[in-house]
Amino acid sequence: MIHSPLETSTLFRVGPVGVTEPVVVTWAIMGALVVFAAVVTRKLQPIPLRAQTLLEITVSAVDDQIRGTMQVEPGPYRAFIGTLFVFILVANWSSLIPGVEPPTAHIETDAAFAALVFCATIVFGVRSRGLLGYLATFTEPTFLMIPLNIVEQFTRIFSLILRLFGNIMSGVFIGAIVLSLAGLLVPIPFMALDVLTGAIQAYIFSVLAMVFIGAAVAGETQETSANQVGK
Amino acid sequence: MHIDWWTLGLQTVNALVLIWLLGRFLFQPVADAIAGRQKEAAQMLADAKAAKAAAEGERTKAEAEAARLADHRAEAFKAVEAEAAAAKSALLAKAQAEADKLVASAKVQIENDRRAEAHAADARSAELAVDIAAKLLNRLPPDARISGFMDGIAAGVRKLPEETRAALGAEGNPIRLTAASTVSPAEEGAFRESLSKVLGHAVAVDISVDPTLIAGIELAAPEAAVRNSFRADLARLQSELVHHDTDNA
Repeated sequence: MIHSPLETSTLFRVGPVGVTEPVVVTWAIMGALVVFAAVVTRKLQPIPLRAQTLLEITVSAVDDQIRGTMQVEPGPYRAFIGTLFVFILVANWSSLIPGVEPPTAHIETDAAFAALVFCATIVFGVRSRGLLGYLATFTEPTFLMIPLNIVEQFTRIFSLILRLFGNIMSGVFIGAIVLSLAGLLVPIPFMALDVLTGAIQAYIFSVLAMVFIGAAVAGETQETSANQVGK
Repeated sequence: MHIDWWTLGLQTVNALVLIWLLGRFLFQPVADAIAGRQKEAAQMLADAKAAKAAAEGERTKAEAEAARLADHRAEAFKAVEAEAAAAKSALLAKAQAEADKLVASAKVQIENDRRAEAHAADARSAELAVDIAAKLLNRLPPDARISGFMDGIAAGVRKLPEETRAALGAEGNPIRLTAASTVSPAEEGAFRESLSKVLGHAVAVDISVDPTLIAGIELAAPEAAVRNSFRADLARLQSELVHHDTDNA
């Protein structure tokens, strides 16, 4: 039986709040990530073992991406960008587990992360430039661009939502259709393609989040660059 | 398409919680570990650079010390060479002096040996000549071995001091004469008369025969001795020959 990916099934209710399947899967992914991270980082070794090496490679890659894309030191943004990438990647790849539907295949999850990117853009922008400085960015390059810049703030977020949702949902949908039509082993190539798509979409979502935040904190970027040149 | 707003809210909360949890348990500890390792690596690199600089300094010092030792060794070698040259010169001079001394000593020894040989040869020659002369004179007739020699004895006694002449044959002591052959009574009387005349008082004579005189007479007394014999002449001649050759050498 094929469920519509546009529908979310409520597993149970807590009072008026219906707890849907994406939420439960998200909790499971969260638990797995946190437990794994806590276990590995509980006793970090000077010479890292395999799991620690994996985490260090991940953190180093996130830091390099932040430096390369935003031109700032990664410290304040590492947790946010890194969590976006890691969670979306693991959520996308959770479709490999039989019977598990990735949370990112539901628009609520993508919208939640996109909303956080929207808020993070504002928070980091205001913190970096100040409120007036951040609002002044809407007047660039001219006052005439203010309406378009405001609309852009929402359209790019919707774009972010729909890109991730469309790609992951379509992968799940196609896999379900092929499975129902062709049999057990035929969907495997499509699942491999989903693995690649999931990784690419996680990377794109994170990079776009960095671009949006980087544009909001461009003043900090220039200041940081000036400090680096000064050093 | 229907959006479940509760799900959207819960997922937003979940995302915020996850950001905090992963920032707390994943990104911050790992970033701190990486930073610590990088800091430690930078410290090790700085220490290595410092150690390298120190090693370079030590190497420079070692090279300077090696150069100083090389100079010192060269100077010591020169000093040893000079000392060896001086010692060599001294040894050569000493050896030359000793050689000269040995050569001179050898020359003296050779000269002494030559003189001794020459003296011995002269002595043998003189002895041979005396032997030859003695053998020749032994051919004289017995009377010729005595006659004519008394005059020589008388001339010798005449040359003695007066006191000696007075003491000879005094108080009846006979004068002892040694003749080369047997003396006849006539010759004995002639001897007594000749001596009495020379001494101025009568004397007695006691004559003995000694063929080794070859020819001649010898007077022997406690006061004096007068020899007029070939043996005495040959002995004197031999002595003179030997001494003459030695003086000439």
